This record gives sequence, C-alpha cells and structure tokens, in this order.
Amino acid sequence: MTDHGKDSYRALFDQNPDSLIVCPACDTLHKAVPVQVGHIARCTQCHFKLMDPKPDTLARTVALSITASILMITMLWFPFLTISQAGLTGKVSMLEIIFDLSHGWYNILAVMVAAFVLALPIVRMIALIYVMWPLHQGRPPPPAAQQVFLFAEKLNPWAMTEIFIVGTVVALIKMMGLATIGFGTAFWLFCGLVVVVALKNAAVCRWTVWSLIRKPSS
Amino acid sequence: MTRAIDMGWVGCHTCGTVHESDQTRCRTCSAQLHSRLPNSLQQTWAWLITGALFLIPANMLPLLSNLVLGQNEGHTIAEGIAIFFQTGDYFVAIIILIASLLIPFSKIFVIAILLLSIQFRWQLGNKTRLLLYEFVEFIGRWSMIDVFVVALLAGLVKLGAVISILPGAGAICFALSVIFTMIAALRIDSKMIWDAPPRTLSNDPEH
Repeated sequence: MTDHGKDSYRALFDQNPDSLIVCPACDTLHKAVPVQVGHIARCTQCHFKLMDPKPDTLARTVALSITASILMITMLWFPFLTISQAGLTGKVSMLEIIFDLSHGWYNILAVMVAAFVLALPIVRMIALIYVMWPLHQGRPPPPAAQQVFLFAEKLNPWAMTEIFIVGTVVALIKMMGLATIGFGTAFWLFCGLVVVVALKNAAVCRWTVWSLIRKPSS
Repeated sequence: MTRAIDMGWVGCHTCGTVHESDQTRCRTCSAQLHSRLPNSLQQTWAWLITGALFLIPANMLPLLSNLVLGQNEGHTIAEGIAIFFQTGDYFVAIIILIASLLIPFSKIFVIAILLLSIQFRWQLGNKTRLLLYEFVEFIGRWSMIDVFVVALLAGLVKLGAVISILPGAGAICFALSVIFTMIAALRIDSKMIWDAPPRTLSNDPEH
C-alpha cells in the first residue's frame, strides 16, 4: 500500500473507483493492490487489517459453518452437565438450563443466554453459508447477499460462545464445594464448537467476499 | 497521507469502498454511507452514561443468592471475588476480578477519555487513542462471563429444599451495563480520532 498524491488518486477514481480502498477505521486512502494469499494488507496509518486473503476462504468458511451448526444443534439434545449432591443426581441440557431460568424477571437472563450463546452464533453461521455457498459453487451471489453478509458481520461481537465456555468452567469451580459436577456429552461438543467457530471466523476474508458481491459502480 | 474526506469522497465504514459524496448506500455492502457517523459523540455519551449508571446497582445488589437449607445468603461481585480468594481458588478469583471489576470500570473510563480527547482535541498521540479504541472494541464482551456463570448456576442447581441458587437483581444490572457499554463502543466513529488536529496547527499547510 503506497501513498499517492491527490491527482493520482483522482485519476484512479475516475478510471475505476474500486481500485481504491479507504481504511474503515481511520479514513486513509489506499490503492487496492490485491495481496497474495496468506499475506495481510494493513492500513499504513493505523494498521487496521484491510485485506487478508485466505486459501479457499469460501470452501473453508462454508465447511466450518456447517460443522459448527451441526455441533450446535446436536449439543442441545445431550446433557450439558451432571450434578449430584446428597444422593440426588440430575442431568441438564442447555435447553433445560435456559427453560429452568425462564420464570418472571429471570426471563431476561434466559433470553440473554439463549441469544448470545445459541441463537446469534447460529444465525451468523447460516448467514455465512447462505452468502458463501453459491459463490463457492461459482454461481452469482444470492438475493440480498450484501444485506445478509453485512448483518453477519454486525452480529460478530454479539456471538459469545467462547465467553460462555469460560463461564462454564468458573461455574463448575464455584460449585465444587456444594455438589459433585460431571461433564456431559454436550459439554465436550460445545468445546469442539468453540474451536470450530474460532477457525471459521479466522477463515473469513471479508475483502474477498465484498469484492465478489459488489455491484458495478453506476 | 491522503484521506477520503480530503478528496470529498465517502469511504464505507464497513468495507472501505470509495464513493462520491452524494451516494447514500454502499454499492459493495449496502451499508448506509456517512462521511462520519451522525451524532456519534452524543450517542456514545448517552449509551456510556446509561451503562455507567447500571454499573452502580450491579455492584451494590447481590449477584446471586444461595438458598442453603432455607437460609438465604446473597453476595455481590466484590464479595464473590473475596470468597474465591479465601477458599484458595486464585485462578478463578483473578478471572472474575479482571472480567467483572477491572474491565467494566476501565472500559467506561477509557471510552470517556476517548470521547473527551476527540471533543476537546487533546494532544493524545493518535496511536495511543487507537490502542484505547481497540481495547474497548475487543475486551468489553468478556465481561459477560459473570452473567453466564449466574445463569448456569441458577439453571443447574435445583435440588429442591437442600440448595438452590437464584439470580440476584445485580446480575441483570450488570448484564445491561455490559450491553450498553458495548453499544457505546460500537457508536464511536474511529475516523474522528484522526480528524481532530490540534486547533493551534490549523494554519499549517499540511492540514
């Protein structure tokens, strides 16, 4: 990314506005020179990541999103944790934990967990599959691809699977004095899910997707 | 360095596509185009103050209450951390101390510093301000750990009369505070960090 004078930027813009890129974080203009796969193009001023093309970004993101959705849906039906105390043993799944919470004003907590841990992550995965699967197949972008991908990007900070797993560990340690806690199948599925989600987010190159679904300038 | 605003262009805040200033929707990502997010400072202040106000009851009211054999004992965030230190669970104590006390308070402080530095054109280095901005963007969500802990404990422990754990009002206030400050962080237009040259230098031909 080299700096150019105003005149050369003007000339490039008149020729093809997509040959330029503005840093979304600091507004600095750059000539958009596609970088090699595996390399990262950063803003010269603030080091914001402008492009980071990944090998097979479409195939990888779609594959990992499908894996993560299957893990997420499967996990709901298995016991998440087992708890035994004074001869009583109970198994609870994620859905039971959420439904047990949903009484009166605890509903707010139940909705937060359901949204941040289960619903928003899976909506983001489905949105990514919807946009990137046809592109991977070499077909034109699906209807409203821009809006859907924008929505998926906006959801990113609100999908909190990795934070929930840390919360689970803390909750277990907190419970150790009160009862015996065991991990259920869903706990291990969830651990796998956290890893797959991290790999999936690392596989997305936003710049690659944006340049595939861009409308020609009028 | 040339910036889009110097050329009279608008750069998309999401994808960086360059547009003429009369465009309203990005042709690449369909996001609304603004040279700078409208009322960014006011909106950030509003969400930040709301978040800060909710942080007060979040720390005064019990986060959760244990009903052990009919006895109700609640504890606040700080008391919870103290219990962990007493029982020797230093690792958990430090996680909760960072996630539930240090991050929420320092985040509000840092957003306020950022806003003031933009508003009053303080001579903070741009690199420093960007570091502060990245701190609030990526760290804030980790405060939700304690909310999930309360939800799990309450959903998990339902062994009838022996013990049960109920969420306290503090948990809701704390969660709302985290959400409001996350929104505040999202409302900051980081382009403004680079907009505010000190007033004394406005005659400088560089600007």
